[in-house]
Amino acid sequence: MLNSPEKILPRVSPLRDIAIQGRFGASRTAPGVTFTVRHPLSIISVIARAGQGSATAAALKGYNAQWAGPDQYFVLAENLGEGALYRDLKAKLAGVASVTDQSHGRVVIRMSGPRARAVLAKGTPVDLHPDQFPVGKSALTQMAHVGVHLTRAADDAYDLSVFRGFSESFWEWMTEQAEEYGYQVI
Amino acid sequence: MSSYRLDKGGLIDRTTELSFSFDGKPFTGHAGDTLASALMANGMTLMGRSFKYHRPRGVITAGAAEPNALVELREGGRKEANTRATMIELYDGLTARSQNRWPSLNFDVGAVTSLASSIFVAGFYYKTFMWPKSFWEKIYEPLIRRAAGLGTASRLPDPDKYEKAYAHCDLLVIGSGPAGLMAALAAARSGQRVVLADEGARLGGSLLHEREEIDGKSGLDWAAGVLAELASLPTVTLMPRTTVMGWFDGNIFGAVERVNDHVAVPDPYEPRQRYWRIIAKRAVLAAGAEERPVAFGGNDVPGVMLASAMRSYANRYGVAAGRSVAVFANNDSAYRTARDLKAQGVHVEVIVDSRMDASADSAGVPVIRGQQVTDVSGRKGVTGIELSNGTHIDCEALAMSGGWSPIVNLACHRGQKPHWDKSLLAFLPPDNGPGFTVAGSAAGKMLLSECLADGAAKGAAGGKPVAVPNCRDEGFAIAPLWWVKESHGKAFIDYQNDATAKDLPLAAREGYRDVELAKRYTTTGMATDQGKLGNINAIAILAEATGRSMDEVGTTTFRPFYTPVSFGAFAGPFTGHHFQPVRKTPLHEWAEEQGAVFVETGLWMRSSWFPQDGEDWLASASREVLATRNGVGICDVSTLGKIDVQGKDAGAFLDKLYCNTFSTLAVGKARYGLMLREDGIVYDDGTTSRLADDHYVMTTTTANAAKVMAQMEFAHQALFPELDVTYVSVTEQWAQMAVAGPKSRATLQKIVDGLELNDQTAPYMAALEITVMGGVPARLFRLSFSGEHAYELAVPADYGNMVARAVCQAGEEFGIVPYGVEALSIMRIEKGHVAGGELNGTTTAGDLGLGKMVSAKKDFIGRMMAQREGLMDPNRQCVVGIRPVDPTDRIRSGAHLLKRDDTPSMANDQGYVTSVAWSPMLDMWIGLALLANGRARHGEVVQVWDGLRGARVMGEICDPMHFDKENKRLHA
Amino acid sequence: MLIPCPHCGTRPVEEFTFLGDASVTRPTTNDPSSMEQWYDYVYLRNNPRGRFDEYAHHSGGCRSWLVVTRNTETHEVYGAVTARDYTRAKGARA
Ligand SMILES: [Zn+2]
Repeated sequence: MLNSPEKILPRVSPLRDIAIQGRFGASRTAPGVTFTVRHPLSIISVIARAGQGSATAAALKGYNAQWAGPDQYFVLAENLGEGALYRDLKAKLAGVASVTDQSHGRVVIRMSGPRARAVLAKGTPVDLHPDQFPVGKSALTQMAHVGVHLTRAADDAYDLSVFRGFSESFWEWMTEQAEEYGYQVI
Repeated sequence: MSSYRLDKGGLIDRTTELSFSFDGKPFTGHAGDTLASALMANGMTLMGRSFKYHRPRGVITAGAAEPNALVELREGGRKEANTRATMIELYDGLTARSQNRWPSLNFDVGAVTSLASSIFVAGFYYKTFMWPKSFWEKIYEPLIRRAAGLGTASRLPDPDKYEKAYAHCDLLVIGSGPAGLMAALAAARSGQRVVLADEGARLGGSLLHEREEIDGKSGLDWAAGVLAELASLPTVTLMPRTTVMGWFDGNIFGAVERVNDHVAVPDPYEPRQRYWRIIAKRAVLAAGAEERPVAFGGNDVPGVMLASAMRSYANRYGVAAGRSVAVFANNDSAYRTARDLKAQGVHVEVIVDSRMDASADSAGVPVIRGQQVTDVSGRKGVTGIELSNGTHIDCEALAMSGGWSPIVNLACHRGQKPHWDKSLLAFLPPDNGPGFTVAGSAAGKMLLSECLADGAAKGAAGGKPVAVPNCRDEGFAIAPLWWVKESHGKAFIDYQNDATAKDLPLAAREGYRDVELAKRYTTTGMATDQGKLGNINAIAILAEATGRSMDEVGTTTFRPFYTPVSFGAFAGPFTGHHFQPVRKTPLHEWAEEQGAVFVETGLWMRSSWFPQDGEDWLASASREVLATRNGVGICDVSTLGKIDVQGKDAGAFLDKLYCNTFSTLAVGKARYGLMLREDGIVYDDGTTSRLADDHYVMTTTTANAAKVMAQMEFAHQALFPELDVTYVSVTEQWAQMAVAGPKSRATLQKIVDGLELNDQTAPYMAALEITVMGGVPARLFRLSFSGEHAYELAVPADYGNMVARAVCQAGEEFGIVPYGVEALSIMRIEKGHVAGGELNGTTTAGDLGLGKMVSAKKDFIGRMMAQREGLMDPNRQCVVGIRPVDPTDRIRSGAHLLKRDDTPSMANDQGYVTSVAWSPMLDMWIGLALLANGRARHGEVVQVWDGLRGARVMGEICDPMHFDKENKRLHA
Repeated sequence: MLIPCPHCGTRPVEEFTFLGDASVTRPTTNDPSSMEQWYDYVYLRNNPRGRFDEYAHHSGGCRSWLVVTRNTETHEVYGAVTARDYTRAKGARA
């Protein structure tokens, strides 16, 4: 028995054959947008139990915890083995918060570049002005009829986390919106 | 002069020649032209025919309100009907056609209706074509449509892209004339986020066509300076070619940006139009004012146009409306036309002013005071005018001005009404509070200095004021003049719908005194221009005819959209394969490899059947059933809703949600649950497993997954907030496959890590957390929907295809088959398991034969209402099995059940068939049905009446469980 | 229309699903004599002109059930609270 199946049984992203690397759309200028599929990723849903909101927030210090609703978070990490982050948080938050593994259930697309905000404006009603939506802030919204967990990762970089089943459809729609600015997939 | 292009002047680029065609004839124009100005420069004053009388028509305006010069623009899939030539930017290769003419614009057969026009009076359609009723659809309407009709839509798909987008701002300024520019400047200088939108191709509003002096500069230069400052600020977004067309609740504005309407073919990566939703903290409407026509005989002859339009063509486009022109007005502003045209070298014959006391500067042009133009001579073009004193004056064009109407449309989109100002002779916008103010001439400021100051004040809105520049003002004086009653010819009020001034008193006489009724009776204001030019005149005439004031008559309702919006803009990118998103299961790739035919279930793509060698769906599904029941089959059930429920009160919460009890479920076990609505009707069903004391995972049907989640959220947050429970959808985290059939255990045993599967380690309804394939985490449920010894295996989604392939490999020796939802459905009907057809929003637990599940020991959603007499009635329709008496007969879903000897009629209805399947095990069609008092009627022979298809067969009522009644296979 | 979600900030109404009158209270008893209360709770809804408390689910956002107070005549939105707080406040009043 193997404790870490990823070593021999690699996780397969649903966008493996969809998010083809290259340069697409208008090519008059440097690409306005860059897309990357962040995979594999550990994504753990943490929801505070009754009255444990602040205890949960405190326990998540030091983790990459993104707001995902009232007293709810997605904790993200790269390069951890299957279930490792889940087991870690489950042990740490026992009785304080409900911990659920969503690593395979969501696909995170990183969109960056000078026109990233303009592309997002074609989908979300969230005001993306830095005063309203600073780096590190997350929002739950809808784009092209798909629920999106949106996080500003940097001044001009955003993470878009969607349910896995919609990822292909969403990818096609999102990249089409970026065509006029030219985009690259890396 | 073969060309009407003036030698100099205008904001056109005379060095750039653009070719275009109108009605197939080639022409040229310049960059900066509109189609209207380019046609006029070529001497083409006739641009269309009117809707009802097919009268020759030319441009009336130089802007968005144009009612006459409507053309079909472009060709093929890009063809767009009813576009306004005055708003179409000329581009090289433009093609346009006139509308409402047959066979040609110059010779139109339909114009004979004009000769018979006395019968075409108001209400003509209602009066004439009412009888006989049957003639309307077949004869009258097609006839009218062919003879009149507006432009035709293309039947080809539109090849261009459309987009939607959101914008946010502190201040939205609508209109970029003097007031709009000042408003934007005031807000922008104090650091606010400003969006400045204007429907025009170029920002500047009236400064583009009026000769003004501001800050010691020409109005044009001043505007350029302000625009340069605005463009330099990162907080300002300038949006030319953008029509703000609606004001909606929450200060949200709809706007259409014509990104690429000014080119023949858009860049393939760019949209033609972009539909904006602008969420504005504040908005300033600075849309300006619309000049009004005057109603007199022949006020529609090509060459008659608004005075402001005529000087716009001269000043902005360098085009003369005629070699000699006359001006007819009731106010001072039209004198500018005489002066500007004269300055451009156009001969101005006369100014006819209806006022005796007019004193504006005519720059030497003779003024005839106290007279009116009664009629225009000429048919396809103006040849002269007749005055009320009988004088005839030769001219080639006539500029008219009946005053100015503030463009208050947007300010009234949310139901407010404008009010009449007696001195300005104008409806002024209502007070909409600080979130939406109106500035400049849209607010009735008729002087340039007032517009600049008002814009600055409304833009700053009490914040840091901005200096208002000096300017030279024109005077504004006006006296009422709506309709020259001495006219002999037709005096038009609504050009587009051919409504005349006489129609309104007629409507009033016939009882249509209310402005909304008069509008519909005369069709005034009902065309695509929504009466932008004619409505105020119509109200004034109606007021006079009924002895009421303007305010008493009031305006008709202003509704979005300000100007017509294409369907493409509304649809945006959500067409074709983006109409709705597609949802794929984690086993999609595996199913494709297996040759699945997919079916849309909600948004999901589910594998429906897996045909081999040309099988049809029935042959394929039947084979899949047989192979599963005889060996082993694997089915993708990932679409079932899966919800992770945790917390101290997780069991108590589930007890509230389901009519049966889950707090008593043992860890490691699963239980079937039934969820009711609060009215006692069954809502959903599924199995829920307990993984730990405070941890359950529940499943929902595919169809109801989202609704059940919302119901749980409501139950917890709104009804039982005291419960300590959390819930989150894990539908997408797990790839879930049913492995069913007598060889399912042997198959799974080969991939399960370190666990011998038997009735002790994995008994019926077990729910286990295990690993497979050397460490892949998995959940194994011993559940059966098929009635076979069966399991459901869930693994994290990224491993799904790999594990499904491994299961297939493991089952190869047992002849494993993939089966789809068709085979799944056959097997559940064979076993009498209820599904969507029976859980159809009308059935109770008792109706489904599940009455014993309903707990009497606890409160749950639906408990009380389920006890109502009507829901407990033994004569209610309940689930039964049905099979044909003659096994070669086919029973169809939806067929009604009648007593054996009753006449086929809905009056004798006893129930209906909810689900049917061809049972390969029983070799006949079988079904489930809802039948009145059905449980007491097993064995009865009934008629199965399919009135829709005209079929009637005899059926026998039986136990819903058609197959393996003792459930031996489940435990085999 | 814009709804001020206490969790997400101001969002357009398209992100919300409405469920009508929030003033109704689920009876706390299953006693047969309470049937009239249950009928009222399940079937009777106010539809006033003017100020109205309405259940709204932020289905396109944080998935919280809210109670939005708006004017049915003018569409003015006065505010929104979580259904949880609204229910607790109702319980405290009762
Ligand atoms: Zn929210």
